[in-house]
Amino acid sequence: MSRTAVSGSAMSEAVALDPGRLRGRPVRDAWRSFATAARLGWQMEANWTDPLLFFIYSVAKPVAAALILVVMIEVIGGSAGRGLRAFVVVGSALWSFVVSGMAGLAWSVLDDRERYRMLKYVYVSPSAFGIVLLGRGMARLAIGAMGAAITLAVGVAFLGVPLDLARVDWPLLAVAMPLGLVAIVALGAMLAAVCLQTRQESWSYPEAAAGALFLVVGAVFPLHVLPAMAQAAGLLTPLTWWLEGVRQALVPGSASAIGGDGSLWAELSGHATPGGIEITAALLATSALVTLVAATVFRLSERRAKDRGLIDRTSGS
Amino acid sequence: MTEAGPTPPAVETRGLERIYRIKPRPVTALAGVDVRVEPGEFFGLLGPNGAGKTTLIKILTTLLLPTSGSARVFGFDVVSETKQIRRIMNMVAGGEQSGYGILTTREQLWMFSQFYGLGTREGWRRVDELVELVGLTEQREQRVSTLSTGQRQKLNVARGLLNDPWILFLDEPTLGLDVGAARAVRELMTAWRAAVPGRTILLTTHYMAEADELCERIAIVDRGRILAIGTPAELKRRVQRESIFRLEVDRLAAGARALAPLPGVVSAVPASEADTGREAAGRGTVAITLVLRDDAALGGVVGALGELGARIVALRKSEPTLEDVFVELVGRGFEDEAEGDGARPPMPGAEPAAPGPSHTTHPHEPGEPSDEPLAT
Repeated sequence: MSRTAVSGSAMSEAVALDPGRLRGRPVRDAWRSFATAARLGWQMEANWTDPLLFFIYSVAKPVAAALILVVMIEVIGGSAGRGLRAFVVVGSALWSFVVSGMAGLAWSVLDDRERYRMLKYVYVSPSAFGIVLLGRGMARLAIGAMGAAITLAVGVAFLGVPLDLARVDWPLLAVAMPLGLVAIVALGAMLAAVCLQTRQESWSYPEAAAGALFLVVGAVFPLHVLPAMAQAAGLLTPLTWWLEGVRQALVPGSASAIGGDGSLWAELSGHATPGGIEITAALLATSALVTLVAATVFRLSERRAKDRGLIDRTSGS
Repeated sequence: MTEAGPTPPAVETRGLERIYRIKPRPVTALAGVDVRVEPGEFFGLLGPNGAGKTTLIKILTTLLLPTSGSARVFGFDVVSETKQIRRIMNMVAGGEQSGYGILTTREQLWMFSQFYGLGTREGWRRVDELVELVGLTEQREQRVSTLSTGQRQKLNVARGLLNDPWILFLDEPTLGLDVGAARAVRELMTAWRAAVPGRTILLTTHYMAEADELCERIAIVDRGRILAIGTPAELKRRVQRESIFRLEVDRLAAGARALAPLPGVVSAVPASEADTGREAAGRGTVAITLVLRDDAALGGVVGALGELGARIVALRKSEPTLEDVFVELVGRGFEDEAEGDGARPPMPGAEPAAPGPSHTTHPHEPGEPSDEPLAT
């Protein structure tokens, strides 16, 4: 800082402001904010006083959910239901990842506003608010991925899921995973936008939203059992295509959640099940749409929260 | 702001309004605020709870949008140029238990250093420097959740200084702190600003002694309006022409209100706790700040107290305080505003009632002549 006189100032001589500080370094600053927020998120998620709790929450919960579904199928369908085992286990494993990813961003808003009361300080820092939330959400996404991987491993080892690494459709998996990730994060951003507006502790919102989506995305049962309207809603959801893509990539030739006799897909497309290219194209289109909507919703929510004074308003205030 | 041009005001608001659309009816928090703070100033916003101080800080720190009017920080608009403002300012609020409890003192500060755009190495260097500056060296590896209220506020102050802001917004920074911690925070702020000319501080407080001690200029705010701006001395001169007495009486059921309509009485309001009110409450008496047109009016007041059956416990004449200025401007004291909220706590770290040169009478019954002269 250099010295200069400030006319009309209460001080006869003041330090001039350094204009260089106003510019910032957008990419570097964004990366730094993201990485720091991710590190903070991980420290919070990994801050288990009891490792048993961590295990139950991140591993045992998704494994148990998959096992419950498998047992249900066994009881209801008997040996006829065995063909659906891989379908259910893979869908259930991936769904735990979806729930973690969607909840991550929303819970970061609630954590920082309600529990730590730091949201206002984070918000008025030069870091982009969305980037910080994204970083914070990464930890939960990582834990979700870990739970999904362990559930899959349990499925392969004990439940007869026919996962053969030599048969995995790696190109489809490589395309579907990042696109799905974008869609999950976008849905999480929408939920974060909703939580930004609420004055009550809306911790259950992400799971409620995920529960509603669970019905229409073909996670553990095929869409064709649903009414046409629900099937249509499912086909417009990127998660449906992502689950289908990952399922077909991991276990090629497994039952399709989208197609099948009497499905809306078959009716509209004229063929029984979607192929890899169709899945990728639909996933790309729906993910792009959801991301666009999420960005708009988040921006509007942020603006509204700032207008209503909600950024630092806790449920107790 | 241009690089070559003159430095714009640190803060400039014009016709700033903020209305909260809440039920059952909208609340006007700011009703056309015009204020200008120059670079390098220690500027105070003094007013009771609900005056609009925090709302103004929130707007200036880009946390809240104004309803109408304009606000600029170093020439940058608070609505459209938030990025620039956030790079050059910081804020510290008091009276809250904020902090990532799971992180250590150093970790929390380092995390914010990254959010403020400091490099990794520079961040750690700055963190260690500030940890030492605010006196948290012993707690540097301690989790935030285990820090005391005062230590957390020191941590908050350190966070506020991390990015070496051009302007620091302090919103009731000593609220809820004990005497030592409050004094430490005030000393820190004073020393930080004095270290580099040009550093600007905007402080909101409802502790009059704090504003008087720290601020070069003060704006007195009430109900969303700025009632007066000036140096503490200038503000006090506004009420210098009147005679101010601190009166402590016993058996005055109607309180200060009973004296207000008497001839020659400009105002009669309960004295603030910081100023004698607390001691009076402890004795079960009523402490009153009495502003008279001149000393001659005192005889009438003493006579009236006798007629009301009250007994004068203490009487002293004093120099005006900022509260007297507030009373003069608004017609009521800070305590009146706090009614229903519980009494306003005294300023932490303040010396017991020291309202300037005074003369105190011995307790005597109303109407009984005092042996000591009252005029100064």
